[in-house]
Amino acid sequence: MNAQELRKAAKEVLPSVDVVIGQRAGFDPLHAEPCFATKPEDVDDFIASPLCVHNLASYLPSLKGKKVAVVVKGCDSRTVVQFLEEGLIKRENVTVIGVPCSGIISVKKVLERVSHEPIQSISFDNETVTVKTNKREEKIPLLEVAPGKCTTCQYPNPLIFDVLVGQKLEPRGSAEAVYDDIREFETKSLEERKEYWEKTLGRCIRCYACRNACPLCVCQESCIAETRDPHWMSQKDDPKEKMTFHMIHAIHLAGRCTECGECERVCPMDIPLGQLKKKINMGMKELYDYVPGINPEEKPPMYVFKVEEDKIEEHELS
Amino acid sequence: MTDKGYLPQDKWEPFIESLSNDFRVYAPCEEDGVITFQVLEKGKKVDLSRPSTSAPKGVMFPQSERLFSFDFKKAPESPDKMAVELDASTNMPETVIIGARPCDAKGFLTYDRVYLEVDPYYRERREKTTVVGFCCNGPFAGCFCTSAGGGLAEKEGSDLFVTEVDNGYFLEAITEKGKKLLGRPMVEDGASHADAASKKQEQASKALQKVIPGDPEPRISREAFESDAFWDEVSAKCLSCGVCTYLCPTCYCFNITDEARLEGGERVRSWDACMFHHFTLEASGHNPRGRKAMRLKQRVGHKFLYYVDKYGTIACSGCGRCIRHCPVSVEISGIVARLTEGAQEDQKAAEARS
Amino acid sequence: MPELAGKELRIVGFLCNWCSYGGADTAGVGRFKQPTDLRIIRVPCSGRIDPLFVVKALINGADGVLVSGCHPRDCHYSDGNYYARRRLEMLKQFLPFMGIDGKRFHYTWVSASEGQRWQKVVTDFTRQVHGIGPLHEKKEAAK
Ligand code: SF4
Ligand code: SF4
Ligand code: SF4
Ligand code: SF4
Ligand code: SF4
Repeated sequence: MNAQELRKAAKEVLPSVDVVIGQRAGFDPLHAEPCFATKPEDVDDFIASPLCVHNLASYLPSLKGKKVAVVVKGCDSRTVVQFLEEGLIKRENVTVIGVPCSGIISVKKVLERVSHEPIQSISFDNETVTVKTNKREEKIPLLEVAPGKCTTCQYPNPLIFDVLVGQKLEPRGSAEAVYDDIREFETKSLEERKEYWEKTLGRCIRCYACRNACPLCVCQESCIAETRDPHWMSQKDDPKEKMTFHMIHAIHLAGRCTECGECERVCPMDIPLGQLKKKINMGMKELYDYVPGINPEEKPPMYVFKVEEDKIEEHELS
Repeated sequence: MTDKGYLPQDKWEPFIESLSNDFRVYAPCEEDGVITFQVLEKGKKVDLSRPSTSAPKGVMFPQSERLFSFDFKKAPESPDKMAVELDASTNMPETVIIGARPCDAKGFLTYDRVYLEVDPYYRERREKTTVVGFCCNGPFAGCFCTSAGGGLAEKEGSDLFVTEVDNGYFLEAITEKGKKLLGRPMVEDGASHADAASKKQEQASKALQKVIPGDPEPRISREAFESDAFWDEVSAKCLSCGVCTYLCPTCYCFNITDEARLEGGERVRSWDACMFHHFTLEASGHNPRGRKAMRLKQRVGHKFLYYVDKYGTIACSGCGRCIRHCPVSVEISGIVARLTEGAQEDQKAAEARS
Repeated sequence: MPELAGKELRIVGFLCNWCSYGGADTAGVGRFKQPTDLRIIRVPCSGRIDPLFVVKALINGADGVLVSGCHPRDCHYSDGNYYARRRLEMLKQFLPFMGIDGKRFHYTWVSASEGQRWQKVVTDFTRQVHGIGPLHEKKEAAK
């Protein structure tokens, strides 16, 4: 990724839109933050590096009525496609600046690698990350500190764009490998799985960052987790309530989740929420031969049906 | 009784273990890479190497607590009558919090001013809890305690204050409660380590420069605070989630709900957050803080203006959690720095010059 | 009909108004013997069944959940059961991932005239759930 080229492209687009959303340096060397540029000077702050972890497409539906340009990586572009499939944005209101991506960092993984020592600087060179703390300097291959989605990325190139900045890249690993972690988890017994989720989801503090960050969680303010009428869930700090909420979050994303990883990234309690959604998506592919966020002309599988389903069979009772 | 104690390295763990016999002990424990305050039990890994993800506030102000339970009872002889039984009994054990950072400990003082007099649930917990604070060795990303009237060696809020020195731990009683812990087995006399400890504390206090002007605390300019454009700008990226408020050691808003079943239920108090849309949603459907800009303004305003009006000090201990863990890096210290009176004058001067 | 061995379990049934509820009624009028573990909730259409109903029941005390609607091509609202089928199949595959046996949840189709089929569905599903046993600790189930 090249910041100069990106800024140039963004400046060219700027006069024809109300805002260009990109990313700029955040409060410390390890963080980038979303940047809403309305003036050419703002665009000068844009960066293009593996620090750009945010899925900026998430902001599009909330900017309804505005002309918006947005900088997207390959995975983020699937969010844009999914919005179009579901009619959540109007194509003519959105200018997509696509950036092919060779991977981003996971802030949590980087910190873990340096035992959470305060970071003094971080730099990137040919997919190697150099991290300096007050005690040491480490050179780490990017993919070792990247979120899971990057290690098996099938869509490094934006699937939809008006402007493309940078050279197209090859997918990493096989499409099959994307779900290896899910298959591995499924070798555990039912009891082990239940125990695992009770413990892991038990950490949830019900901050709803996972929900609010999710571009495709469309209910937001009417979420079952908070409505009092109907009163689906109590406000108790109770494992059952957390389990219900997360199962429903995943189910509502069935055949809609583009695996952008935001839910998992934003969780302060480091709960592997992406797993739930990946499991369901795996089924969507097997049952309905559907992958979310690929083709704007398609309809998500839960929006449609076939009178004779190809893969669903009657379940026998034993 | 002395007010200075010392524990050699090898007595530290046995000491905490022995506390567990008489108290419910909360300590920062690591699980799957996340540190939270948990009740100390066998198999838990205490981790004091960095600030916990969530503040220990849940010990004093739980995420959800039963205020009372109610049961509807029908009398068999007159089924048209319904009796309600209430149970508001509480049972809070004597508690010790180990490993609170200075900013965590100071956070409790923010709650005290609001709840101690008027809230029996809070008061009971507070009175039964001893806070053991730890001197910080150095700041972490986002920390700005020194700009919030505190510091890495700030003792206010702790009952007992611990400084790592001379291959062990120097213990300083700040209150009577803290003194009591010094009387426990294994604690040695600490007088000979006092100098080393105060040197260490002095060093620590200098390890973090102020990032917001104002001594000891920042003062926000009201005029700047009222600018809508400012809040629109700084809140554009905000997700209206509960990360900042729920991890914060000084945020104390709550909701009260009746979680009822057919035959009874509980009145529950649970954390709530001014950053949520629902927080101010009225029954009519109107929401006086319907936009996220208004909500972020409220969060900052509450901490740096309204609370100051009422209690004379800010409601933020500069722990940096809301910065570190915010999904989109909203930086409260940066926001406040831009709103301080000094910053405003500087800006005006700059504008006048140009 | 032999009584199922052991303690009664809690099974929640969501039945559509037009077919399966009628089917259950037909079974009742015909005095077909059925196990008594099932508690029926009538919904307008199987398409009304949000997976949330099933999840909430299973997490909060039910040992099994049965959903039944009109046969495909027979939906009173023409398409409701087609959507339901896609959703419920997704749910059935997801439950085991969370550690909940997929056999605790069953969805099927029973028409208003199929009293006998209803009897068989209820009996077989109840037996299936008894085969796995209770999902919740006794203490909780009693709540
Ligand atoms: S569920 Fe998670 S991974 Fe899927 S779209 Fe939402 S935020 Fe992205
Ligand atoms: S972000 Fe994490 S802690 Fe917050 S509600 Fe989601 S899972 Fe729970
Ligand atoms: S400031 Fe950050 S943590 Fe707070 S509500 Fe906004 S996005 Fe969430
Ligand atoms: S507002 Fe932020 S920095 Fe201040 S006490 Fe709360 S979490 Fe810490
Ligand atoms: S804010 Fe200050 S007291 Fe709190 S952890 Fe950071 S350095 Fe320590």
